[in-house]
Amino acid sequence: MRRTLPNISLHVVMIIGVLITIFPFVWVAIMGTHSRSDIFSSPPPFYFGDNLLVNYEKLLDVMPFWTVLFNSLFVSVMGTAGAVFFCSMCAYGFFAYDFRGKNIVFGVMIASMMVPPILTIIPSFLTIKFLGILDTHFALWFPGIANAFGIFLIRQYMVNSITRDLLDAAKVDGASDFRIYWSVVLPLIKPALATLAIVMFIGLWNNFLAPLILISTPDKYVLTLALRSVQSVANSPWGAIMLGTFLSMVPLLLAFMFFSKQMMAGLTAGAVKG
Amino acid sequence: MASVELKNLSKSFGDVEVLHQLNLTVAEGEFVALVGPSGCGKSTLLRIIAGLEEASSGDVLMDDKWVNDLTPRERNIAMVFQSYALYPHMTVEENMGFNLRISGLSKLEIKQRVGEAADILDLGELMKRKPSQLSGGQRQRVAMGRALVRNPDTFLFDEPLSNLDAKLRVQMREEIKRLHQKVRTTSIYVTHDQIEAMTLADRVVIMKDGRIQQIGTPTELYQNPANVFVAGFIGSPSMNLLDGKLETKGKTKKVILSDGTKLNVRSNSCPLNDGDVIVGLRPEHLHLAKGKTEKNTLTGTVNLIEPTGAQNHLKISMAGKSLAVADSTLVPLALDETIKVCIAPEQIHVFAK
Repeated sequence: MRRTLPNISLHVVMIIGVLITIFPFVWVAIMGTHSRSDIFSSPPPFYFGDNLLVNYEKLLDVMPFWTVLFNSLFVSVMGTAGAVFFCSMCAYGFFAYDFRGKNIVFGVMIASMMVPPILTIIPSFLTIKFLGILDTHFALWFPGIANAFGIFLIRQYMVNSITRDLLDAAKVDGASDFRIYWSVVLPLIKPALATLAIVMFIGLWNNFLAPLILISTPDKYVLTLALRSVQSVANSPWGAIMLGTFLSMVPLLLAFMFFSKQMMAGLTAGAVKG
Repeated sequence: MASVELKNLSKSFGDVEVLHQLNLTVAEGEFVALVGPSGCGKSTLLRIIAGLEEASSGDVLMDDKWVNDLTPRERNIAMVFQSYALYPHMTVEENMGFNLRISGLSKLEIKQRVGEAADILDLGELMKRKPSQLSGGQRQRVAMGRALVRNPDTFLFDEPLSNLDAKLRVQMREEIKRLHQKVRTTSIYVTHDQIEAMTLADRVVIMKDGRIQQIGTPTELYQNPANVFVAGFIGSPSMNLLDGKLETKGKTKKVILSDGTKLNVRSNSCPLNDGDVIVGLRPEHLHLAKGKTEKNTLTGTVNLIEPTGAQNHLKISMAGKSLAVADSTLVPLALDETIKVCIAPEQIHVFAK
């Protein structure tokens, strides 16, 4: 009895937490099946309606939804893959090599994480304009592929999970620097790569500010920008917007399901005698 | 197989010099152990030989070729690490075949060579397992297999047995010795355990503070230690070291201990001049005196008896000093009993103070 009471109260608190977290998503899904007038009726309908197909047609009418979804997917996948590759490579550099000024460079990099991103908007806009990549998807994913957070995250994981002996053993085995990184280090830091990948993917997928500033052609819009741009029209088609919003969450859910398994994997067990 | 030669080798980390002008030659097929207390530079020396660390000055030669600038692979060495350093995401088979895969050997050849090494080390049944599914001893064998599979010119071992329990250590020691007798590859073995070094090696190199103290066969080191450090390091239980004074009268030489005990020393084994010296007495060379006629005796009281089965290890108080005696006669003794122990003059070591 003494043990079950805290157990029950803990579960109650957690279930309430889960309900609060899930509610907006369920609400969006429900709204996606109602017409605009249903949505604004009082009390609002808390059940699935029958307006799904109409909303879907409306959605395709107000924006090129699948093109926009593909744009978002492209930007997110490219940015994520790039970040995983370059951040891990850079982290490996900081982890495995001793070079003059290493600590200073690392320190400056960490310090750069403390600059509020909003402050860098104008300089980065000017840089991107100077480079002539304004209004391209490249400008959305490329600048973030070697970011301080990713490098720091992976480097810390390497410090805890890879021993110098392992790198030395690979050197004795005759592996080149890239081979050591690719065949020995990368497989051992999969959980960190998965963590970075999911953080990057979510960040890029949800990014609104950068596309708002950098993208002007409607065909190049990403989901966040497209959904927002429709709302600015009078008589916003809320049912269609909600459906679009819900559909835009699906890839994220899929991505999480795919990576979460990797995040849990304890691959380094048995690397060295512990 | 290759010979290894080090010429005036020095290594500094910043201002700290960890190796001082070392010279060492390891003949082809020889098994040499580098032994010394932790921090004496033996592992650094091994890493320099391996090509994992650069020497600050001096030359490393293999088969009379200057190899300072060569990578570990180009030196054709194989190394067994203290932590095993197996790739945790690869199976035993992949671990052993990794270096062959890098060399671009065909799959068939890799399988064959890995199979041969596995047979030698009795790893056949473990090939599909990952390192996390192996015991300490098995991991150690895989690490050795990984080294063996590439037919290296030189084997380097960096304290490979220190993570194993005592029983397994003895077993693996035998296995390493047998392996060396079979393949006869030049081997350099780093350890802090003098028993391991003595039992395995053809020659032992004793190091302290980045300097070689003595190089010799295990017997030479035991019988003729060059200095007090080597004398205290080699042998178990370790040698008793007592302060004394050397006196020469005609052809006879004597050492006088602090309590006035006089011991005869064989004159030709003692090239020192008269004066303060350190006297070394091995516990196993001290015998309980049977009668009053025995010469070269020391008197003391028993204050500890440690039976080990074959021997009784005694601690005897003598002039404020504790003297270790390994008694093979197993004569029953009582604590605080006054006893006499004797030693032959040729078994007394005398070192400069």
